[in-house]
Amino acid sequence: MSIAIPASISSRRIPVLPKRGQISWFEIVLLVISLGLVVSGIAPSLQDVILLSFLFAGLGLAWNIAGGYAGLISFGHSAFFGVGAYTSTILLLRYDISPWIGIWVGALIAAVFGSILALICARLRGPFFILSTLAFAEVVRIGALNWSSLTGGPEGLSIPPMASLAGMVFASKATYAALMLGYLVFVYGITKGLEASRFGYYLFAIRDNDDAASAAGVNPLLGRTAAMALSAALTGVGGSLFAQYFLYLDPTYVISPELSFQFALLPAVGGLGTAIGPVLGSFLITPLSELLRSHLGNAAAGLHLVIYSFGLIVVMLYFPAGLAGALNKLTRWKPFS
Amino acid sequence: MSTLLEVRHVSRSFHTTTAVDDISFAVQPGELLGLIGPNGAGKSTLFNLIAGVLPPSAGQILFDGKPVTGWKSHDIARIGIARTFQIPKPYRQLSVVENVMLSAFLREKSLAGARKLAETTLADVGLADYSGAPANSLTVGLLKRLEVARALAMRPKLVLFDEIMAGLTPTEVGVMTGFVAGLPARGITVIWVEHVLYAIMKTATRMVVINRGKLIAEGAPAVMARDPAVVKAYLGEEMVLA
Ligand SMILES: Nc1ncnc2c1ncn2[C@@H]1O[C@H](COP(=O)(O)OP(=O)(O)OP(=O)(O)O)[C@@H](O)[C@H]1O
Ligand SMILES: [Mg+2]
Repeated sequence: MSIAIPASISSRRIPVLPKRGQISWFEIVLLVISLGLVVSGIAPSLQDVILLSFLFAGLGLAWNIAGGYAGLISFGHSAFFGVGAYTSTILLLRYDISPWIGIWVGALIAAVFGSILALICARLRGPFFILSTLAFAEVVRIGALNWSSLTGGPEGLSIPPMASLAGMVFASKATYAALMLGYLVFVYGITKGLEASRFGYYLFAIRDNDDAASAAGVNPLLGRTAAMALSAALTGVGGSLFAQYFLYLDPTYVISPELSFQFALLPAVGGLGTAIGPVLGSFLITPLSELLRSHLGNAAAGLHLVIYSFGLIVVMLYFPAGLAGALNKLTRWKPFS
Repeated sequence: MSTLLEVRHVSRSFHTTTAVDDISFAVQPGELLGLIGPNGAGKSTLFNLIAGVLPPSAGQILFDGKPVTGWKSHDIARIGIARTFQIPKPYRQLSVVENVMLSAFLREKSLAGARKLAETTLADVGLADYSGAPANSLTVGLLKRLEVARALAMRPKLVLFDEIMAGLTPTEVGVMTGFVAGLPARGITVIWVEHVLYAIMKTATRMVVINRGKLIAEGAPAVMARDPAVVKAYLGEEMVLA
C-alpha cells in the first residue's frame, strides 16, 4: 500500500540555511563577519549597535527555546533577565563576588523562577498562558521595586565604572562586543545541541501535540518545566551581561513588558523554532530599534514599539515562517526548472 | 499464561452521562481482541481509561498483574501500552519519520537508533515513501497509518487501535487487516476498535461488544454475529461471516 508522492520538501532543500542540528556555511560566514566586526574595531559609532545586536540575538535565542521549541509563548521573560541582572549585581556590590561567578548564580535563580512560572501555568494554554507570563513578570517587577534594601528600589543599582577583568568592567567597547558575541555563540551552541538531542525532540512533540507526546511516554509537564528553566537561565545570563555593560539597573526597564516583548519579537521576525531565526531577527530589529529610539527620542517614547509592531504584523502576514523561512524559499527557487 | 490486562468493574461518567458503566474483561497475551459497539457506546472512553488519559470514576485496571489505575498517560506508555487516536494527533511541524522517532525513543535512546527503528516501522505500515514528508501534508488515511506506526515503534506489549481503517480504500483495508492479524505472532497483543465489521470479525480471536457504556456480549466472532443482543444493539441483522 504505497502511493508515490513528489520528492519530499526536505529532500528538495538546498543546504544554504542550517538544517536542524547541522552547521551550514551560512552560519560560518555570519560568524566570521561578526568576528570581523569585533576584531577590526571599525565604525566606533556603530559599536553600541553591534554589541547590542549580539546581546539581543542571544536573548532572542534564549527566549526561542521556550517560545519556539517548546511552544511556551512568554511575554514575561524580562523577569528572568531582571533576576539575572540583579543577582550578579547584588552579589558584586554587597559581597564583592565577581560577576564571572555571579552570572551563574543569577542563571540558577532565574531557572528556579522559570520552573515556578512553568508549574504555575501548567494547565494554561494560548492567550491564558501568555497573560499569565505577563502578570508573573509584573509581580517580579513590583517585588524588585519594593524590596529596596536589596534592590535599591526605584533608584536602581549602579556598578562603579572601574575597569577590571575580575569585575567584568572594560574600558573598550570592542571587549564588550567580544563578550556579547561569546554569549551569542554560547546560546547558539546550546540551541544547536538541543536540536540534535532527544530532549529537543521531546520539546517539539510537546509543542505540537501534548496528548500524542504523553502517549509516547513523554512527560509534558516535565519537558515544559525544563525548557522554561533552561530558557530562563540563559536569559538571566544576558541580564547580567547587560548590567555589566550599562553599569546601571533601572528597575522600570530591566523588568518590563517592553523588554519581554522585544525578546519575543526577534525570533518571531527571524523564524520561530529555528536557531538562525533570532539571530537574523536581532541583526535586523536591534539596529532598527536603536535608530528609531535615537531619532524619535523621548518626545515619542514607545513610538518605536508601535512602528515595529506594525513591522511584525507585516512579517507574520507575508512571511509566517520569518526571515529564515523567506530565505529558505528563496534558496529553493530554481530559475531554470 | 498470566493475564496481560484486566479491567475490573471500571466506570467513567461525564457530568450526567455514564460513558463507561461497570465494565469488566480480561485479555490474555497473544490475543487479538475486537471491541465493537455503536457510536457513543464508550469504546474510545474505555481506551482513554486504559491508556491513562482519564482516570476512571470507579474500578481497577491491572496490567501484567500490577494495578495501574489512575496512572498518567506517559507512565502507562512506558510499561508497554501503546494506543492510536481515533482522530489522528500528529506532530504537525515535524516530518513523518520524526513523528515516529518520538515513539521509538522509548526503546532507542540515540537519534540514529531511533531513526532506524522509525524507518523500519514506517516500511512495515507502507509509509516508507513518506518518511521525509511533513506530517501536515498527509491525507487522513495516511495519518491513520502514521498513528499505527507511532504506536508500534514503541515496541509495546499491548496496543490499542481505535478505528485505524476509517477512510481507507477496500484494498488498503485488506492489506492493513493482514498486517494487524500478524501482530500477535510478533508478541504484540491487540485490542482493536473498528466499525469496518467484515475486517474485524474475520481477524479477531475474540470479541467484546459494548452498548451505552455496558458490556453486552463477549465471545467468538462467529457467535457474536448471531447473538440476539448484539444484533439488536448494533448489527441490525445477523451477519454471515465468509
Ligand atoms: N471528554 C468528554 N466529556 C464529556 N463527554 C464525553 C467525553 N468523552 C466522551 N464523552 C461521551 O461519552 C460517550 C461515549 O463516547 P466515546 O467517544 O467513548 O464513544 P465511542 O464508542 O468511541 O463512539 P464512536 O464509535 O463514535 O467513536 C458519548 O456520549 C460521548 O459524548
Ligand atoms: Mg470512538
